[in-house]
This record gives sequence, C-alpha cells and structure tokens, in this order.
Amino acid sequence: MAKVEQKGTLSKSDLREFFREMLLIRRFEEKVEERFRAGELPGFLHVAIGQEAVAVGVCRALEESDIIASTHRAHGHTLAKGTTPNELMAELYGKLEGCSHGYGGSMHLYDIERGNMGANAVVGGGLPAITGAALAFKLRAEPRVAVAFFGDGATNIGTFHESLNMAQLWKVPAVFVCENNHWAESTPAWQHMPIEDVSQRAVAFGMKAVKVDGQDVEAVYKATRRALEHARSGKGPVFLAVNTYRLVGHYIGDPQVYRSKEELEETRKTQDPIEHLRTKLELSGDDVEEIDREVQEIVDASVEFAKNGTDPKPEDALKNVYA
Amino acid sequence: MATEVKLPRLGQGMESGTIVKWLKSEGDKVEKGEALYELDTDKVTQEVEAEASGVLLKIAISSGEVEVGKTIAVIGEQGEEVDAEPEEPAGNGSAAREVADDAQEEGSPAPAREQDRERGRRASAGDMGEQVSEVRQPSADNGGRIKASPLARRIARERGIDLGAVAGTGPDGRVVAEDVERTAASGAPTPATSAGVGASALPLEGVEVQQFSSMRKTIARRLTEAWQAPVFQLSVTVDMGRALELRKRLVELQGDGAVKPTISDLLTKVSAAALMRHRAVNALYKGDAVELYPTANIGIAVAVPNGLVVPVIQGCERKSIAEIAAARALIVERARGGKLQQSDLDGGTFTISNLGMYGIERFIAVLNPPQAAILAVGSTEDRVVAVDGQPAVRPRMEITLTCDHRAVDGATGAEFLRDLKAFLEEPGLAL
Amino acid sequence: MPELSYREAVRDALSRAMRDDEDVFIMGEDIAEMGGSMGVTQGLVDEFGPERVRNTPISEMALAGAAIGAAMQGMRPVAEIMYEDFLTLATEQIVNQAAKHRYMSGGQLKVPVTFRTQGGAGWSPGAQHAQQLESWFVHIPGLKVVFPSTPTDVRGLLWSSIYDDNPVVFFEHRTLYGIKEDVPDELEPIPIGQARTHRQGEDVTVIATGRLVHEALAAADEAEKEGVSVEVVDPRTLLPLDEDALISSVKKTNRCVVAHEAVVRGGFGAEVAAVIQYGAFDWLDAPIERVGAKFTPLPFAPVMEEFVVPHASDVLEAIRRTVGRNDGN
Repeated sequence: MAKVEQKGTLSKSDLREFFREMLLIRRFEEKVEERFRAGELPGFLHVAIGQEAVAVGVCRALEESDIIASTHRAHGHTLAKGTTPNELMAELYGKLEGCSHGYGGSMHLYDIERGNMGANAVVGGGLPAITGAALAFKLRAEPRVAVAFFGDGATNIGTFHESLNMAQLWKVPAVFVCENNHWAESTPAWQHMPIEDVSQRAVAFGMKAVKVDGQDVEAVYKATRRALEHARSGKGPVFLAVNTYRLVGHYIGDPQVYRSKEELEETRKTQDPIEHLRTKLELSGDDVEEIDREVQEIVDASVEFAKNGTDPKPEDALKNVYA
Repeated sequence: MATEVKLPRLGQGMESGTIVKWLKSEGDKVEKGEALYELDTDKVTQEVEAEASGVLLKIAISSGEVEVGKTIAVIGEQGEEVDAEPEEPAGNGSAAREVADDAQEEGSPAPAREQDRERGRRASAGDMGEQVSEVRQPSADNGGRIKASPLARRIARERGIDLGAVAGTGPDGRVVAEDVERTAASGAPTPATSAGVGASALPLEGVEVQQFSSMRKTIARRLTEAWQAPVFQLSVTVDMGRALELRKRLVELQGDGAVKPTISDLLTKVSAAALMRHRAVNALYKGDAVELYPTANIGIAVAVPNGLVVPVIQGCERKSIAEIAAARALIVERARGGKLQQSDLDGGTFTISNLGMYGIERFIAVLNPPQAAILAVGSTEDRVVAVDGQPAVRPRMEITLTCDHRAVDGATGAEFLRDLKAFLEEPGLAL
Repeated sequence: MPELSYREAVRDALSRAMRDDEDVFIMGEDIAEMGGSMGVTQGLVDEFGPERVRNTPISEMALAGAAIGAAMQGMRPVAEIMYEDFLTLATEQIVNQAAKHRYMSGGQLKVPVTFRTQGGAGWSPGAQHAQQLESWFVHIPGLKVVFPSTPTDVRGLLWSSIYDDNPVVFFEHRTLYGIKEDVPDELEPIPIGQARTHRQGEDVTVIATGRLVHEALAAADEAEKEGVSVEVVDPRTLLPLDEDALISSVKKTNRCVVAHEAVVRGGFGAEVAAVIQYGAFDWLDAPIERVGAKFTPLPFAPVMEEFVVPHASDVLEAIRRTVGRNDGN
C-alpha cells in the first residue's frame, strides 16, 4: 500500500487511494459475511461496514512507529494499519498463516510488527494498555503516539474513565478515537448514555476533545493529524468523538430486531462513507468498476489463500502460553 | 450466469430454518439487497435479502424447514435454463439444533469446520502421555517399597495377610484389594508377627473367613434381587386333622417299596390345585408383564450343605400324590448329593418352603424371583381352639404366603390362600 | 552479611533493578512520598524521581493496564496493588489481558509485568483488607504466581519476577514485613519455580506458604518434643509449582499436611493435595491434611479473627492426626 506522501494536505490521488482502501475493506467485510453464512468461519464476527472512513482516515494519518489497539470490530482497523487481506482472512479461517497464527481469531487480531497491539474482545479492555504504551513512549522520550479505537458503548465502562483520567493526568501521547455509531450492540445511545454529546466525556477529564464527521474520510484524516500533533508535542492526549454509522447488525446474522427498518434503510442510503467520497471525487461508473474489480480480486484471492493455508496441529494449542 | 440462492447461516448455531413465505414470485425481477423471502429461525422471523440481482428463475423450495446451505431458488438472466431439481425440504421438522457447550448468541460452530473439531478431540483423547501438562505421571521407581493401594493395605491389615506374599495385578504391579482377597481365599500365609504389613497391623486370632462359593454368591445375589420387590404377606392357620388322617390312609394303602407320602407332598398337590384355580398366583413377574402359567411347577426348598437349592416338580396338578412323593424323593436325593441338573432347577412357577421339621411355627419366606409368590410352612402343633363354642385340642399349622405386589393383589392372594386352607382342611374339595 | 527485614528486602530488590535498568519503573497508589501503605517504597522517590516512582490515582484497572501496556512496549514495570483485596478490581486486566496477549497473538509479544501486592490477617484489618487470593491466579494459564515468606526469598524472587518475561503476580504478607534475616551481600536471584526446604524431617511433610511457613516451623519444634520429626517445605512459587520437590519429600515421610492462611475450601492446598495424591499415592500412609482459614469472611473483633485464622496449633493438630495421635488421646 502506497503511503500518503505529504502528510498534512491530501491530494486527489491520495483520496483516490483512500477510496480504494475503503472499498477494499467494504468488499472484504462483505466476503467475510458471505463465508460465515456458508458455514466456514467459526466464532464471533463483527464487521465494520459503514465505518471504513474512520479506519482509513485515522490509520493513514499515523506515522510508521505509532501504534493502535482496537475492539471487537477490528477488521477495518487491522487492514488499514497494514495487515494484508491474506493474513487477515487466514486468521479468520484459523490458519497458521493468519496474523495471530490461528490463536486469536476475529477479535484478537495482532500485528505487532506493523504496530497493531491487538483487537480486544472485552469492551474497553485495551484502553489501559494504550495509556501505558503512551506512558512508555513518554518515559523513553520516543516521538510515538498510541491510538485507541473504541465505541460509544465503551465510554460507559470503568476502564474508559480510568484510562482517560490517567492519560490526561500524566499528559501521555495518546489519541482516543471514539467511533460513535450510536449503538452499543442492541442498545441505542440514548438508552446507555445520559448525555448526547459523547465528547463531553473527555471534557470531564480536562482532555482536549474534537468532534469529527466519521463518514468523511478527509475530515477524519485531518482531525487525526491535528490530534497526533497535539499528543506528540507533549501537550497531552486528545479525544476524537467521531460520528459514524453502522450499516449492518452488531454481529453477522444479527437480525437487528431492535432497529427500525426505516432508520436502517435511510442510514444506508445517506450515510455510506464510500458513496460520499465517490461523489466528492466525482468518480465515474467505470472508474469505480475498475477499482472494484481490482479489490474484489484481492479479496477473492485472500479466501483462496486462507483455504489453502496450513491448519495448526492440535498440540500447537500448548505453545505460546509462556515466554 | 444463474446464481443459486442457498439458505444462509445467520449465526446463533443455526442448522436450519423454516421458509415462511416468498416475497417474490418466479419470473419477478429482483434487486440485490431486496427482501426475497421470510425466514423463521426459531429466534425470530426475518426477511432475507437477495444476494444477487436478476430474475427469480425458480423457487426450488416454497416453504417448510430447510437445512442451511441447501439451494432454495435460482436467480439469473431472463430466459436462462435452470436444471436444478426441486429438492425435498427437510420435512419432518425436527431439526437437530446443535446444543453447543458455549451456546453464545453471536458465535457460529461453523459445521463446515466440524472435521477440525473432531481432529482436535481425537488428538486430545490420545495424548495423555506426551503433552506438556501439569498432570504428572507417577514415577515407576518404587525403591524396594511394596506398592499397594491404601485399601489393599487395610484389608491385609484386617485379615493379617503378608503383603509381600501377594502378587499385585494393579497398574505398575500395585497390589490392589482384589489381589489381597484372592490371596486370602486360597489360604494365604498369615504372618506370625505383624512385620511387613504396615505400622499398625492387628493380629486376628480365631477368625475363620469363609469365602463365598459361587452357589453362595448366587444365593446372595438372588436374595438381594428379591429384596427389591415390594411384597406383602398373608397368614392363615390350618386345621390339619383331615390332612393327617388322609396321609395316614395313603401310607397304609401304599404298601412297602414306594416312597411314603408326607404332609409336604400333600401340601404340594393341594397347592397345585389351588394354583390352577388362581392362576394369577401361579405367575412370573417380568418387569412390564406378568406371565400366567397353565401348569404348576412347584419348587421345593431343600437345605444342602452350605446352602439352599430349590428343585422343581413339574406339572404337579397332573400328578397324583404318590407321583409327587416319588418325584420329591428323587430330587431331594439328587440335591443332597450335589447331583442336580439345571433342568431340575428350571421352570418353577411357585415355591414351598417348609421349616416345620425344625419346630419353626411360622416364618416369612423371601420371594424366589421371578416367581410371584412363595409359601412358608410351619410346624403342626396341638393347640387349644374353639370348636362349636367349646375348647378342643386340634393339630394346627400356620402357613404364610409372600406375594410380589407388582404381580399379585391382596385380594387375589387372599382368595388363593383361603382356598388352599379349605383344601387342606377338606382335601376332597380339591378334586 | 547484612540483616534485612522483609520490607527492606523488597525495597532492595526494587532499587537495584531500577539502578541497573532504565526500563524498570514502579507505579501504585501512595508509593512516592508516603512510601506506600506498608512503607515498602520509602525513600525510592528521592533516589529515582517521580517519573519512575509514580503515584497513580485510585484506578486499579488503569494502574494494572497501564503497566501491561508499558510492558508490551518492552519496559519492565512493577505495579503495586495496595491490598490484595483490590486485585479483584484489577483482575480483568490481569486475567483477560496480561495473561493472554502472548497466546492470542500467536507468540508475537511478551508482557514482562510484575504485579506486587500484600494481604493477610492480623491486627483486625477487616474482611475487605485481609484476603489471601493466590489460588485464583494459579488457575490462569499465562500467569506466574510467587509467594515468598522470608527476606532472602522475597529479595531474590522479586528480582527474578521483574526479569521474567511473563506477567507475575507477586504476593507479600503484611505480618512478615517486619521479620529480619541475614541475607547475602549481593542479591542472589532465586529461580522461579523452585521450592525450599526449611527443615528436614522423617515422619511428615508440611507444605506451607506465606505466614504459615513460620507457623509450621513453630509447630514442627513442638512436634519434635512429642517425638515426631517434621519436614517443612515452602514451594515459594505457586505457579509453576515445584512438584518434584514436594512429591519427593512426601515419598520420604509418607505423610503430608498443607498449610496456608487462605480459606481451606478451593484454596491452593487443594491443588497441592491433588498433586501429592496423584504423584505419591502408594507412599501415603495417612490422608493429606489441609490447614487454612475457616470458611468465613474475616471478622473484625480480635477474638473472632484469631478463631478464623490458622495458627501453629492448627498445624500441630494436623501433624498429630497424620501420625495417628490426637490431642488428648
């Protein structure tokens, strides 16, 4: 994946690159849904359809040595941070060639070399470690930033409050990216938060908070750049309240009985970040088709790669418990 | 290019679903993402969207339960040939819903991966020896110490057996309880002192241990079985005057050379008559049925050295008293000589047990399963009873009938016993 | 050989590690100027400064989790959880995160973090400041659990825990902080997973941890007078357990008592008893005895606290039962 050349301003070709990446994530997630329904993928799967702009916008703004930690809805972040579709698909199939070598699965995707400290199945579980990683960067005087992804639901859990409080107290170089898709599983935001504006949560800790339109990848990128700058310069952590939309259920197969059909349809029509970018770039139908064909091939190839991958031996389960 | 529409796995450990109704008809245009049919997944009924655009060329399964992965329709270009045979739905509606150990809402057991799970299971079962685990395998070196289980040691202690003389058949040559038992049964050496058996062995003197022979084991087992039955007992006291007279007469008529009939033989004959009139008592209890027999095969309990056997006289209702006496004498001789055959023991439908010769006045016999009833006979004694309002001395005998209540009701048993008493008191009634 | 108290021994191990290694730092509640609620970290902030001797807010999850995060980046943090009872708050991070990152990533990273804590009854701390929860953590694959009972042991084992590349839950006992012992001039690292025999004996092995090691030694002296020769072994590391040492000892004596201050039911003694039963089955001449606290939360009133908690006398009674003697018989 070509890196964005000039960090700070985005050229049209950068944005085209973003489009391609977002579409790749979209097609990947759709393929995951398809393979799950065909009975090939064990476990829990949560796809990020609708939230591609957040993943791409944030991850493309990072420096090489910055790190991320993600949540149960991690495929988009993982791909955007540089893990190849082959490695990711192989992990979902439980193969040794997977990024976690078959030990983790969809909710425990790690790619340490590429700065991905892991997806976490416990809501808010990875937040303290991001505060800790940022602390380590500060103690060692390294110009690196630790970035956490989490959802609006996570802003209710203890680790969220403790981690942000501590991060701000110690002014560690961290960025907390809240993907507010307005749903915590099946519970709508108004039913789990007593406040409407999730950025208020950060204000409680005295932390700088920025509101971002999560369906506009350019806006996400720019906001992230500014936040990273703030954190990296020692001014302290930043809370990005990113407004986004989940265009599918919480998990694959979720019939979303708790969500009104009209709302879902309306959201799908008006809030698709890929559509937004396509319009902004004025891409023609042919342009899109060409990119689509390309990414579809990559996605199809990743399934082949995964299916032909190596199954772990049963006894491999006994390895890697201790260093 | 036609696309097959297959029933999707919608998570939740789903193995099948029920098509409720199609929202499109054959020949309709369909857009990808459009609602195509309604599916009942036992959690919820939901609309399922089309995964391709085109024309709904064929609906292969219109309604009913379908396994996940089965083709239910075909979408393609107008005019395309579709050669898919409409498949039968899964039909009888009893989808084996997989009960996963970790029945999570959102997860999938992914049946396509069942073989992987099988492999993991098999490897785990076969792998006890090799794995890097915290479960130690006990070391084989015992440094000269006798390996004996705590239980074996206790038995050895109690019986005064030298463990060193016992061959161990347990894992790693460990002496287990059975080994000590076996040694004891075959007359094992007992230590003169308690050395070698353990710190606190108690010397046992004068205790004779009698191992059970297989006969005794069988008796024990059958008695334990009998004990499970819910029984009731009925007793009557019989005036034996007429019976004793009859016996005396028969003995006189018989002459020498033949077996002298006894009261027991009379009892056997008369019981057979009563049994024929009350077939419910001449029965075997078989769990969910009772077998009523057309012939009275009466078992006579015979004490033998170290035990009890019950040889059977077949067809007592057809035999005369003399024949019964002869048969009885024969089987008793065989029993006492240890020469009974299996055929002598089989086929009994009723048993009579007589302890009268020991002076026992009354007792309750334990059932002889699967027989539904057994008669206990006491001694005949002179008693003072009321006869026509006046005290008189009469020979009286108490008999007790034990019945398996699962096969015989109280009234049934009572009627039988009433008739039996009547026959004993007036044998002519049994003719 | 200098004489160090258990408390000073902990401090010594921390100081030496921080002097040697920039990557070692400590964090916890009130550990800086105040020197910790048990005075263990007294003076460290003066030598190493507030960045490396770091006070945290009352946030056990973030405290434990930040330590985990820093460890994942290659540092060797030592996080202090003020009271063992508060481990319950940090447990999600210790159990779901620290113990599992290496495994879930397929071996891509290590989490060389040490969680230090202290617990135990004595002087009426009350039910929520007195627990002994070590058995919970022995149950978690991916963790190591250490519970030293003497100054020499705590110094050598804390050093080894800091330099172990796995997350270690390190238990200290509050009533042991004051005990003194001559220790080697130079800190000698003690291997994790190695038991220590305090006293040789022939008739019964007492396997004890924490405060009960000392109670067991006192009981052993008494038993000696009754003609019973007692061997006292301290596993020191609970996970991984030095099974060979424990089993050999019981094979020698044929009798075993397991003693800990924690509640008997589901306590660490149950694991030891199962290991001994399996590994020394044919060597056992008596059932394995377990000594521990009675099954109640810890009461406040001193008379009740003493009743609940095990003492040397309980160990002695257990010893007597194994050799077939009862008190008073």
